[in-house]
Amino acid sequence: MRKADIIVALGLMVVGLLAIADSIRLGFGWGMSGPEAGFFPFYMGLGTVICTLFIVLRTIKKYKKEGSGKPLVQEGGMTQILWVLLPAIGMVLLTELIGLHLATVLYLAFYMGAVGKMHWGKVIVLSILVPLAVYVLFDRIFLIPLPEGLWGKNIMALIP
Amino acid sequence: MDIFSNWMMGLSVALQPYNLMIAVVGLILGIIVGVLPGLGGANGVAILIPITFTMSPTSAVILLACIYWGALYGGGICSILFNIPGEPWAVAVTFDGYPMAKSGRAGKALVLSFLSHGFGAIVGVVLLTFFAPIIAEFALKFGPPETAAVMVLTFSAMTRLGGKSALKSLVAIFLGFILAGVGMDIVSGKLRMTFGTVPLMGGFHFIVAVIGLFGIGEIFLTVEEGLKMEGVKAKVTLQDIWDGLRDLLRFRKILIMGSLIGCWLGIQPGGATPASFMAYGFAKSSAADKDQFGKGASSGIIAPEAAGHGAGTAATLPMITLGIPGSPTMAVIMGGLMIMGLQPGPMLFKEHADFVWGFIGSIWVANFLGLILVLAFAPAFAAILRIKFSILMPIIIYVCAIGAFAVNNRMIDIYYMIIFGIVGYLFKKLDYPMAPMVLALVLGNMAESAARQALIMGHGNPLIFFRPPIALPLMLLALILFFLPTLSKWRKKLSAKKATVQT
Repeated sequence: MRKADIIVALGLMVVGLLAIADSIRLGFGWGMSGPEAGFFPFYMGLGTVICTLFIVLRTIKKYKKEGSGKPLVQEGGMTQILWVLLPAIGMVLLTELIGLHLATVLYLAFYMGAVGKMHWGKVIVLSILVPLAVYVLFDRIFLIPLPEGLWGKNIMALIP
Repeated sequence: MDIFSNWMMGLSVALQPYNLMIAVVGLILGIIVGVLPGLGGANGVAILIPITFTMSPTSAVILLACIYWGALYGGGICSILFNIPGEPWAVAVTFDGYPMAKSGRAGKALVLSFLSHGFGAIVGVVLLTFFAPIIAEFALKFGPPETAAVMVLTFSAMTRLGGKSALKSLVAIFLGFILAGVGMDIVSGKLRMTFGTVPLMGGFHFIVAVIGLFGIGEIFLTVEEGLKMEGVKAKVTLQDIWDGLRDLLRFRKILIMGSLIGCWLGIQPGGATPASFMAYGFAKSSAADKDQFGKGASSGIIAPEAAGHGAGTAATLPMITLGIPGSPTMAVIMGGLMIMGLQPGPMLFKEHADFVWGFIGSIWVANFLGLILVLAFAPAFAAILRIKFSILMPIIIYVCAIGAFAVNNRMIDIYYMIIFGIVGYLFKKLDYPMAPMVLALVLGNMAESAARQALIMGHGNPLIFFRPPIALPLMLLALILFFLPTLSKWRKKLSAKKATVQT
């Protein structure tokens, strides 16, 4: 936990440093018409760097005194999280290719079948009905287009 | 009576059939969102904002606000019947709600929770109706330095009430402002922090951040803990309602105190979650039968529920009059209003009085409707939780992805959502508060332009932020609020040291 605390704080410090670097490029002083574009981000970045520095120092002190503490992720929790995260990323990548609706059919079917170990009949019905309902609601009723991906339109055209 | 006629007008707007229908739909969705762990009020509202683009502003705000009221009502159901808080503000209810439900009085526990919610809502909305016009009138005198001071006060109150480490809260606020600054600078038109990349030019939209931080992050936490849904079955009978009403009258002091604590924390941005804990602590310390707490004491349900809903409702007051949301969910609702071109703040009362009063009227109507809905259909909503998590989870992620995409119709936002999800998980684990970050992200542009305009007014002299008569006390209050806990800690340490030296 404490190691992760230090790493995350350092990561946030990098974000703060990036903000400062860009503010210096833009100028953070007093320009022709008041404060320049980099004025506000500069001080926000400065604040982030100072605060994270304190967090890192404090945590290192605690780390030396009391050891690393509890692990960040509970035992066995990591596999559970990856089982959620990886299919979700897979769905997003698929969306780029075949569109959100079709990717969801595959995603729901995969998750309910492989992880939920449900009866395949139920899996098929649910994983088609849910995206269909969303398609009707968004694309047809509210006229909000959802991502079609590279080939989504062509594949959807095949289905009457 | 000016307020009275305005109020009647607002009620009549809220009672139009179309708006009533919207309210019921919003409430049902809200209760579902509230019942489901992993889908909270903030991201429930965020997901539905794109749908409201086609509606009139009044109907849109009714829908968004009703999701919040519904989520407030629904959070209790999950806590009481399953011992799993569906929402962060329902954690305090699990202490006594679940033991009471387990001992066979589930119906009564639910009734107590709902009625306390209803009462908290009434206190909050009465406060809103009478004080909003007065505060708005006062706030018309605000210039950029005063606006900046109010924001500093907001953040310092939020930092301290969250109960998290002050350093980490500050980091969260700064990060929120940095993320809000990505993209085009609204004053000079220069591109900031894009590092020459096209996707960053559009900046980060707060809706995407909210869905990621609160939605996806929460799902990671839930699966890590391995959710087991073993609930108590419940029916709400007339006898339960009667029992609940009687207990409510018996503990009326705690009910009123809880609501007032809630309203106070809602107005000075603390949100519903600290309010419910504080009220629970208050009820426990003032009760005659302390040993009953944790075993199913009625007042242990009444206090946090009344405070939670009171805070949620009262959070509307600073949002609509000053443009400062009192809770993360309010921040999202306010962001939705800003997208529709309505800038919350004192001018809203002058320019869009019909909208403001329609909104206030709808809060009255919706909270009564919500009470009836949960009383009548609580078991039906609880049944949602009996659906397998492996069905719910992918559907929740799917809905989140739709919400993130629909904000700007950009694919990149779905990737951002997943990244924010991971960040949200880490933040939650490492105790970084997320509410101030979201608030900073929503207020980012407003705060920055207020600060810059104030500095221009003061010719670069930062003392303008402390200009009397309004900005000075606000700033001082903010500083006191921020440093008070640290100072009292030091004093304790010092006196402890002195004591050891003397002995």
